[in-house]
Amino acid sequence: MTKKRAVILNTAIIFSFILVSLRLVDLMIFNHNRLAERAKQQHNKVEDVQARRGVIFDRNGRELALNLDLESLYGDPEMLDLKEGNIKKLALLINKEPKIIRTKVPESGRFFWIERKLEPETAEKIKGLEIEGLGFLTEAKRVYPKGVLASHVLGFVGIDNQALEGIELKFDKDLKTNGGKVVVGRDASGKILSSGVETETNGNSLVLTIDEGLQGILENELDKATIQWRAASATAIMMDPFTGEVLAIGNRPTYDPNKGTAASDSEKRNRAITDCYEPGSTFKIIIGVAALEEKIARAGTLFDVSKGSINAGGKNIGDVHKYGVLTFSEVIQKSSNVGSIMIGMKLGKERIYKYAKLMGIGEKTGIDLPGEISGWIYPPERWSGTSIGAIPIGQEVAVTPLQILRAYAAIANGGYLVKPHVVSEVLSPSGEVIASFRNPDSHRILSARTAETFRDILATVTEEGGTGQNASVDGNPVAGKTGTAQMINPVTKRYSKEKYVSSFVGFVPADNPRIAMIVVVYEPKGQIYGGVVAAPVFREIANQALSYMDIPRDDNAQRAHFVVAR
Amino acid sequence: MLSFVIKPLLILFLVSCAFGLVYLRSSFLTLEYSLGDLEKQKTEYLTEKKSLLAERTGLLSFAKLQVSRNDGEAFVMPDRLKVVYINKQKGYLPYKASLERKQ
Repeated sequence: MTKKRAVILNTAIIFSFILVSLRLVDLMIFNHNRLAERAKQQHNKVEDVQARRGVIFDRNGRELALNLDLESLYGDPEMLDLKEGNIKKLALLINKEPKIIRTKVPESGRFFWIERKLEPETAEKIKGLEIEGLGFLTEAKRVYPKGVLASHVLGFVGIDNQALEGIELKFDKDLKTNGGKVVVGRDASGKILSSGVETETNGNSLVLTIDEGLQGILENELDKATIQWRAASATAIMMDPFTGEVLAIGNRPTYDPNKGTAASDSEKRNRAITDCYEPGSTFKIIIGVAALEEKIARAGTLFDVSKGSINAGGKNIGDVHKYGVLTFSEVIQKSSNVGSIMIGMKLGKERIYKYAKLMGIGEKTGIDLPGEISGWIYPPERWSGTSIGAIPIGQEVAVTPLQILRAYAAIANGGYLVKPHVVSEVLSPSGEVIASFRNPDSHRILSARTAETFRDILATVTEEGGTGQNASVDGNPVAGKTGTAQMINPVTKRYSKEKYVSSFVGFVPADNPRIAMIVVVYEPKGQIYGGVVAAPVFREIANQALSYMDIPRDDNAQRAHFVVAR
Repeated sequence: MLSFVIKPLLILFLVSCAFGLVYLRSSFLTLEYSLGDLEKQKTEYLTEKKSLLAERTGLLSFAKLQVSRNDGEAFVMPDRLKVVYINKQKGYLPYKASLERKQ
């Protein structure tokens, strides 16, 4: 009996082992590939490497654009609990109508976005609702912590961090990076084990030539001027005249790049480079330097403008005030139209055109911002009979504020045409300099003597008797020129009698320039003259900028002589 | 006699090895869990760092300083008329400080 039981037990054990062996063969040989794949799916998770755009710094290393990690809310239609109460609570938290959430639910598929890049507090509150079928994914949100400051330089990105405007767009290849995929291990409960690899990759960073402090000063004064003169728009640019580094650039109206997609086209326009205008008297610099270079006039050469008007091609053009006999220097200082036209006539259209082109009129400056236009000046063969009376006083020419500023910078720096730029360096994610634009090309266009003579002439513009006295700064001489130009009425195609462009362009300190700056106010109300509208804005910005940059006064101010024994 | 001693020892060794392997595998997994937790923590801290950095940058923005200035409590641009520039004198001289008018 006992033996029989032993046989049965042995048989059962052997049979069990055979069954187990067969199952093992089934699992390990016949179903190996399928099961291995399934195991891999369960134990490994493919995650996206989070791609982060590079940071944008100002010239002092202050962050102007950076990234935040925010959670985005998605739903799984198969799992989502769409009870009315749940939807209402969710809609309240994300500030949307419940029906909008319902319309987002797709008919097929297992994923849809409900709301992207939520504020952390909102995300926590939604998690607290414990609604089944909701999930969160971390995404990078581009943030511009300074708000509207330098918005026209920085530009902005879209919801998927795609570059749309400004430096973000121009240097998109440097700033963005490819994310890719990474495999991480997880256990049966889905808990992630150590991946040992970085799940975030960063693009290159940019260092701008912009100085946040100067930018703030400039934009603040632009705001005040726009309100004071109820102007349609305004632009100002501050540049280092020797290097072409743009220190500040601002436009009004403006926008907050954090809400860039909601801004209007007018707000987004970087007028400093995308809008052209007739420069008016600021263009007289071209006639002036051409006359000096061609030795048609010297600072003391006399011009009789006592008639108060001059006929050019059958059209009479006059001065605002009547003058007698003016020196060449006074023609510029008092901005005499008659004197300028007389000089222009002596030069002739070929030489005017030659020097205009030489000083960058009708040419793109090549600034590293998108959307720059070239403006225009007609070649001599296309000039009409009246052009010789119009072009010397800045009519029949279209320029951008940056072009005019660059021309004045050439006077300030001794005769070199610089290339304006806003990016000075590209940095790798580890901080190494991989590209530098600190020493861009510049070439001589004027003799040093002409530049120096004209610099002295421009300095008289802000002195007594000049049109730009309101631009003078305490302690440092300012060299510059006022401009008042009529705008073209798009309906009548004639010069408007109500709409003007008021401008002032110059540099300071006059004898050792540190900043060159242009202020352009479009359609001011109440006053129209550049010396009244734009020059005070120049003064206010320059005053603060010189203080900010710690530039000493040039007058007889007290200086401490600090003597210390060793 | 020798095999009487070696055989149990070898069996003991094999069993120990098996347990050792299990122990090592378990320790390895525990370490992976710990590392995973630390990586998660690191990600959370990095996220927090980014948001704090953005907050700090926003607080230090020029616009904020201007607002504070209007309250009369913070940054004021120095009055250029009152700024005195100090030139350091080279060489051995008596210990003194004086104001001199610029020549």
